Amino acid sequence: MDFPGPATPTFFHPDGHKLNRKGVSSHNMEEVIKALGLNSTLVAQIFHFIVLLIFLRVVVYKPVVNVLEKRQQFIHDNVKAAEEERKQAEALRQSYLADMQKAKEEAQAIIQQAVKAGEAQAQQIIEAAKAEAGRIKESALQEIEREKEKAVAELRDQVVTLSILVADKIIGRQITQDLQHGLVQEFIKEAGDLPC
Amino acid sequence: MRGLEEVHKELDLWGFLNYGHHGVVHTPIGEVNLKTIVMTWIVMILIGIFTVAATRNMRVDRPGKLQLMVEEIFLFLRGLVYENIDYRKGAGLMCLIFSLFIFLLFSNLWGLVPTMMSPTADINTTLGMALTVFILVQVLGLRYKGGKYFKHYVEPVPLFLPLTIVEELSKPITLSFRLYGNIYAGEVLIAVLLGLFGLTVDLLGGFIPSVIWLAFSIFVGFIQAFIFTMLTIAYISQVTAEHH
Repeated sequence: MDFPGPATPTFFHPDGHKLNRKGVSSHNMEEVIKALGLNSTLVAQIFHFIVLLIFLRVVVYKPVVNVLEKRQQFIHDNVKAAEEERKQAEALRQSYLADMQKAKEEAQAIIQQAVKAGEAQAQQIIEAAKAEAGRIKESALQEIEREKEKAVAELRDQVVTLSILVADKIIGRQITQDLQHGLVQEFIKEAGDLPC
Repeated sequence: MRGLEEVHKELDLWGFLNYGHHGVVHTPIGEVNLKTIVMTWIVMILIGIFTVAATRNMRVDRPGKLQLMVEEIFLFLRGLVYENIDYRKGAGLMCLIFSLFIFLLFSNLWGLVPTMMSPTADINTTLGMALTVFILVQVLGLRYKGGKYFKHYVEPVPLFLPLTIVEELSKPITLSFRLYGNIYAGEVLIAVLLGLFGLTVDLLGGFIPSVIWLAFSIFVGFIQAFIFTMLTIAYISQVTAEHH
């Protein structure tokens, strides 16, 4: 706590002030130095400081600077990586958005196509049904026609047969079968189509 | 109430005053103040323990408390240096500035420990440091400006030479006496406060001024270490700055 120089009390001594005012002769200089309590401690302290300086330079300064540099590098790298990742994420997001958009469009297209196909199919089915109906109608008509013709032919035959019988009975004479038949046919032709 | 000398004698628990002439001993390099030297050694050892403990197992991702302290001091000083001195010139000085600050800070605070003394409460220490800085400033000025450095002594006119010399010399003197005065006065006041109050008064609250003064001394210790370092940076920046 104390200052161990013997000269310290004399530092505030009136003589000290007088000496300072007097000037710079070598004798007075010595007095001033003595009054201040200066001695070889000064040299020792400079030496101590240099020793400490070297010690700190070797033992402390290097690791501190190293660790600070490393931390700076670390932060720099992290920031860079984060930036990189952010860019990647943004790119990924864009690609996902594009994909989604594409998928949406595709879905829309598929739906439209399906609707179109459905409509076409319905149309086709309707047309097919119509055609089938037409065909069935046609065939029915043909059948009717055929049946009608058949009936007419049958009727004619019957009429012919009946006519022959009748003619047989009425005429009472036997004509040849061929002649008879030819006569009847002629007759019927003349009579025209019966409305049956 | 006891006198200052008396208090000093009572506080001399380690017997420094018994060696040589009131603690001044003769060595091959001349007379030295034993207590200052021993306290400097202790402070150096403390700095060694502190810094080695702080820089051992340093981690980038999760720094320890001590490591953070050293790092923060270092970064704070580096900020000051880079603000004032060119980056390339300042980087080489960082170790010196850092050592200076750490040494002064520990020295200033060590005196607050009872029966201990700040190495900086001795004018020899502070003047030694200031002279080191002074020589460094001159050397740096010569190194970065060459012969032109001496030109500033005779500018703007040669008539100013004595004034400039006084100005240059006043730098180490003010540096050393500012620090010495603050720390020595702090220690004197601690001793005075100890001597002023007897035990009875102390129990009745006489310790309060001592406590307040100790707290203030911690603040002063930091401020003075900072001022010394800051002025060193300023002096160096003056001689290394390039005028365009």
